[in-house]
Amino acid sequence: MSVVFSVEAPYRAAYELHRLTFGSGSPTVAIVAGLHGNELNGMHAVNMLANALRVQAPRGTVHLFPLVNTFGADEARKRFPFDDRDINRMFPGDPEGTVVQRIADALFRHTEADVCVDVHSGAPHVRELPQVRVPMSGVELELARAMGLPVVWRRAGARLDDEGLVGAWRAAGRAALHVVGGRGITLDTGHSATLADGLARLLGHLGLVHHPGGGEVVAEVTPAEIEQHRAPCGGFFVPEVRVGARVKPGHLLGWLQLPIGGERVGEIRARRAGVVMTVRAWPMVHAQELLVRVAELRGR
Amino acid sequence: MPQLQSITEVELPSGDALPVVRRRFAGAGGPRVAIVAGIRGDAPEGVRVAHQVASLLAEHEAALTGTVDVYPCANPLAAHQGARNWPFFDTDLNRLFPGRADGHPPQQVARALVDDVSGADQVVELRGARSAFSEAPQAQVRAADDRAAALAAHANVAVVWRREAGPAAEGTFAWQFPGTVVLEGGTGNRLTAGVGQDLRDGVINLLCTLGVFPEARLPFHWAALQRPIVVTDAEVSRVRAQRGGLFLPAAGIWTQVAAGQPIGEIVDPLSGELREQVCSPIDGRVLAIRELPVVFPGTMVARMVRG
Repeated sequence: MSVVFSVEAPYRAAYELHRLTFGSGSPTVAIVAGLHGNELNGMHAVNMLANALRVQAPRGTVHLFPLVNTFGADEARKRFPFDDRDINRMFPGDPEGTVVQRIADALFRHTEADVCVDVHSGAPHVRELPQVRVPMSGVELELARAMGLPVVWRRAGARLDDEGLVGAWRAAGRAALHVVGGRGITLDTGHSATLADGLARLLGHLGLVHHPGGGEVVAEVTPAEIEQHRAPCGGFFVPEVRVGARVKPGHLLGWLQLPIGGERVGEIRARRAGVVMTVRAWPMVHAQELLVRVAELRGR
Repeated sequence: MPQLQSITEVELPSGDALPVVRRRFAGAGGPRVAIVAGIRGDAPEGVRVAHQVASLLAEHEAALTGTVDVYPCANPLAAHQGARNWPFFDTDLNRLFPGRADGHPPQQVARALVDDVSGADQVVELRGARSAFSEAPQAQVRAADDRAAALAAHANVAVVWRREAGPAAEGTFAWQFPGTVVLEGGTGNRLTAGVGQDLRDGVINLLCTLGVFPEARLPFHWAALQRPIVVTDAEVSRVRAQRGGLFLPAAGIWTQVAAGQPIGEIVDPLSGELREQVCSPIDGRVLAIRELPVVFPGTMVARMVRG
């Protein structure tokens, strides 16, 4: 493990950006997790991958950054605690800028690789089936399929925000994947293992390690193939399904009830067959907030 | 009597209603001016000024020669807890404009505010200082907007800053209405003695200049108003900490300092030993100074204006 960047911090030890490097030569893969300090699944998945790479050295180079926002993780906070800034809105960064701009600059410079992956959890109030978010076509779509995670979400304009890490990688011509699984704040060990397996399959696809096999993309969808259920009114949402559940038209996904008294004020039912890819985890909801996403099954 | 109207009402999950309100002071004919405060919840100075202006308008409503819409607090849930961002969504309302009617509540409020203000002949946005800073009373307008800069010169501030648009400008409220004059000053998340009064007088004087408020009813003599300097980005310098530690300011707001003169020092937070003497890079005045002492290398500790 090496420290590729550090900056002094008032009242505590210096901030350090840690990198684990396995193997040498081409191709080069960089995998980042923990940009958001409250997203633990990516961190756990990358550390599981590190343990595997300690046993099987790759034919090529793998750079792992299991936890970028260490200060945020210490406090269960998404953003960098000092100035409450989201590091993932600071790319490509500035070596002479604020502390988060300097961290972003260092991370961006040290992830110069053929393939780059940024692993996140869902937000703290939703749980996501492990998925890759990629452009509609091209090499990144092929890499996403090779990961064998349950969902490949193809999106036009998937370059995202230029200030985000994935967008900055793509703007610099690097193949970049945006991976999401589980829920923020909590550790989903099953989803973390699924993410780690997907990362290993990606390395296998690229010829860096023996291909571990397994994995299945159950839904490869565009936004039009995702059924979104939003809250018709504010209230307390009680889910009836978990992510990964297969549903048919009419399947009860959950209901809304009054937070005081418990009277049921609305039911959420699937309109078509598919797999549940997102479920609201924090039950207090405003009108129009996302409750459930259902992705159409592949080869339906 | 001024009408207090809800421009939108957010239904919270608990069932509580959260209204965003407007006070309308309708004079005979004339232009319509919108005064908007509290887009961020950590800017109570702007909310105070909005209420002070509204109080004066209520007193003289019969003499108004135009309509003034005062929106005293656009982000009431954040103001409720003194936070910059809209709670739960943890999102900066001033990055969501023009908003979406079918979005989450902050986006809905942004949309409702834009729709309601739309058509105004002049927009004035009231802010407070950045949360860690004290700032001299100032007006900010778009760099190329001569008309707004000329109007802002009547706002009883120390500086009119003709500011180039930053990367986040398009999502701000002010960007939706070209010609908007943004007024701010004081201390982050605090009220500052004198600043609220200065900005209130500045807003009333703007209304007088726009032909809405009668000159004879001004609660001050025009000669008492400040005559601001007008600057561009080239004349404003950001001073950053080179070391981490505690920044201890040595210069007050709007004090004159020479290039190389100390404006503060950074000390080790545990031993108290000096780590860095922070000096002004230019001959000029202190436009803003950091008052929350903890800094990292690269943190802005002051903003200087040439002159």
